[in-house]
Amino acid sequence: MAMVKVPIDVHRGSPGASGHFDHFVLDLDEHTPVLTALLKIRDEIDPTLTLRYSCRQAICGSCAMRVNGKSRLACVTQVGPELAKRGKIVLEPMGNQPLLRDLVVDQQPFWERYHRIEPYLLPDPAHPMPVGKENPMSPEQVSQFQETPRCIACASCFSACPALDSDPNFLGPMALAKLYRFVVDPRDGGFHRRLEMVQNQSLWLCLRCNLCVEACPKDVRPAERIVDLKWMANQELGKLEPGSKHSIGFAENIQEGGLLNERKLAMDSLGLVGALGQLPKAIAMMRHGRSIKKHPPIQGKEDLDVIYRELAGREDLQHRAFTREGGVRGKSPPSTSAVPTATAATSSAPESPPANRPVSKGPTEGGKA
Amino acid sequence: MQRHDVLVVGAGLAGQRAALEAVRAGLDVGMLSKLHPLRSHSAAAQGGINASLGPQDSVKDHVFDTVKGSDYLADQDAVEILCREAGPIVIEMEHFGTIFNRAADGSLDRRAFGGASYNRTIFSADRTGLALLQGLYEELSREKRLKVYEEWSALDLVVRGGRVQGVVALDRKSGNIDGFAARAVVIATGPFGRTYPNTTNSHASTGDGTALAYRAGAFLKDMEMVQFHPTCLPGSWILITEGARGEGGILRNGKGERFMSRYAPNKLELASRDVVSRAIATEVQEGRGFPDGTCRLELMHLGREKVETKLQEIVEFSRNFAGIDPVVEGIPVYPGQHYMMGGVSTNPRAETNISGLFAAGEAACVSVHGANRLGANSLLETLVYGKIAGTNAASSASKAPASDLSQADVDRAVQRVHAIWDRKQGEPPAVIRNDMQKAMREDVGIYRTPQQLEAARAKLVELQKRYLNVYVQDKSTTYNVNLTDALELGYLLDLAQAIVAAAILRTESRGAHVRLDFPKRDDANWLKHILVQSSPKGPALSFLPVTVTSYQPMERHY
Repeated sequence: MAMVKVPIDVHRGSPGASGHFDHFVLDLDEHTPVLTALLKIRDEIDPTLTLRYSCRQAICGSCAMRVNGKSRLACVTQVGPELAKRGKIVLEPMGNQPLLRDLVVDQQPFWERYHRIEPYLLPDPAHPMPVGKENPMSPEQVSQFQETPRCIACASCFSACPALDSDPNFLGPMALAKLYRFVVDPRDGGFHRRLEMVQNQSLWLCLRCNLCVEACPKDVRPAERIVDLKWMANQELGKLEPGSKHSIGFAENIQEGGLLNERKLAMDSLGLVGALGQLPKAIAMMRHGRSIKKHPPIQGKEDLDVIYRELAGREDLQHRAFTREGGVRGKSPPSTSAVPTATAATSSAPESPPANRPVSKGPTEGGKA
Repeated sequence: MQRHDVLVVGAGLAGQRAALEAVRAGLDVGMLSKLHPLRSHSAAAQGGINASLGPQDSVKDHVFDTVKGSDYLADQDAVEILCREAGPIVIEMEHFGTIFNRAADGSLDRRAFGGASYNRTIFSADRTGLALLQGLYEELSREKRLKVYEEWSALDLVVRGGRVQGVVALDRKSGNIDGFAARAVVIATGPFGRTYPNTTNSHASTGDGTALAYRAGAFLKDMEMVQFHPTCLPGSWILITEGARGEGGILRNGKGERFMSRYAPNKLELASRDVVSRAIATEVQEGRGFPDGTCRLELMHLGREKVETKLQEIVEFSRNFAGIDPVVEGIPVYPGQHYMMGGVSTNPRAETNISGLFAAGEAACVSVHGANRLGANSLLETLVYGKIAGTNAASSASKAPASDLSQADVDRAVQRVHAIWDRKQGEPPAVIRNDMQKAMREDVGIYRTPQQLEAARAKLVELQKRYLNVYVQDKSTTYNVNLTDALELGYLLDLAQAIVAAAILRTESRGAHVRLDFPKRDDANWLKHILVQSSPKGPALSFLPVTVTSYQPMERHY
């Protein structure tokens, strides 16, 4: 129990009115959650400060905000470490959602995307729900959901995501992680339709910056679920879409000579006509001294070959090893946690086919009939 | 002015289940909640939901365990419905998409829980409430006809001619006050644990709907029955699920003794909650606690893998809120307020004494929990009785005349709110709230004496007077939490008075209600519910017999 002086700058004001920061200094134990500090300000100093909060135990998802620039749940972010980072604590409303007042934003853009993915089980005519009993589902199948059931819809990932700015079609990390939860659900009949929807809409707009993984207080790891979806979409639908062609072309491109051949990459991703459309961009690039010519192979190309061979041989990484012919090669279902959690550890099912449909339908069919 | 056949107030599990049923009956349904539905307090339920689906288990055993757990105050006809519908409603939730833990054979996995004869608690790790809330909200999202009013606080329940006419509510985002005319209304606003400071309940658990129904003339029932959960993290009062003990967690006092053997030699840590809470409080009071005034919940012997997979949230809570790693050390625990057995009195059809008014979930009291609720029966109650409330509200609404809710009703609420809002000075709600919570914690706790209860009663009367001068400093119309805090404090004060009035009247010890001056259960005089109705002179008390069908009261042993 170490009491410290905690300077806190809190964003105040509404849109239109000039936003500003109010400065407070509190004496707090270093383990005090930011939410507790804010409620202390409300109770003892300024009751006009407004914020969303309810459960104070990271399960209702109400109190997400930016703490020293990072999207965080106020109830599980302790003041001590934040103070150590910046010497004070700066609290701002979440990003990507319009401000209402102080620390409260209008979450409509977030919920609108949630509802856009058809967030409910789609009927599977081939496998109606069993009458009067549950659908059987093995513990391994449950582990396919990865960490997605932990999502509390706090929108921290949504707030942190830089790709949401670029395209209104982009579903954002939470909705895509939610979509993943349905795609891998053996009870859901929308496998193809769901993948098709995101393949054309927004899957490839993810920048893979991993800010959503860093922001998520429940370790849902949305970016990894998006990678899983890309892998499944490529396999299920083929590489019909520039994004998927681009990702595969990229991998092959590097494999060839160790350096990016941008001319070939543009052709791979967009086709001849599409690539011609990129000509002005190519000319501009050349004018700025960037070569789009084919590079000679790099030195030590053999080492690169070893890396590619190694990747192709790794069961747990196979869904990342793309080839032109076979779409996605690989046997194991997505299990991409960089830090394996206990849930992920139980999910290794090396003999099960890719994607999750055949796994779930196969052994349990009798039970479903 | 909005108009619906059925209006559901509250959008947790009970409210959503009611709304789903009413909308699927083909009616025009509105659902209004001060939180987004997915932020409801139902999400905080951890351990599981009971259904007698195991091979040896039966509905009859579930009924008996529940009745015994209730210390025979539960209405047995209502408990029979609860337990009979448990299997179907859990399976229905599975069909809706809820992600449950599974046994090796693919069936729903079951864990042990307090007061249960068999492993009958279906679960989703230690976030079963969240899993059910997600599954139900997903199912409800199909219903495009349902109109959801998110972040609206109910201000008034309008009753005229003995029949409910609708609700007046405040849009938290804009400050607008509007009327919601309805032929039937379902109250499902959850608990009112914020009457206490040492509560596991969310900040939003302020009993809005229960208090509005009470003010409108509805009876409250079993209000003296306040459940203290044995294992909470002192300070933050965050719950450590009973599932932790169900998975094999044990309790030790400061001397290292597994003390539950003295209180419940057979069931030990898995005795009913009232028994375990009293045991911990007694150990600490008699000097056998740890120096910090707690006991320890030990999970270390279960092994890292079991703790980290089946009790993930608990590991997180302990690390985040107590700086404790339960994989290697004991968790300091002490009982905290957790559940209100009491609420708006309903019959097993979820009907109240006001026609067209229904209630379900923790806001209501059927009563299936009597004097002490068994763990994992509350999630069950929200769904079973939420569904019943939805069915019967729909049928009531289709026979009812059109609501006569008028602009005058809205104007009255506007005036009442503005009388508070426009005040130029007075006492901040936080000060009155802190005094109320202090009185409830100190004088209306696990052990009760007439002196303490009288002191609490007097204090609450004083606070009610001070509340007439409550001051809202924030004058903004946008998301004014200062204003809603003040309104919610009014609800809590009403309900705290009802709790204390019933606790003074019940001169026996039963379940969660323990009177040091009357330490024994007294079936001859007290096998009955206390009803509380609002009157100008304060809470008016009356009685209702307990419905006994199969199980005559016996002494409880665990």
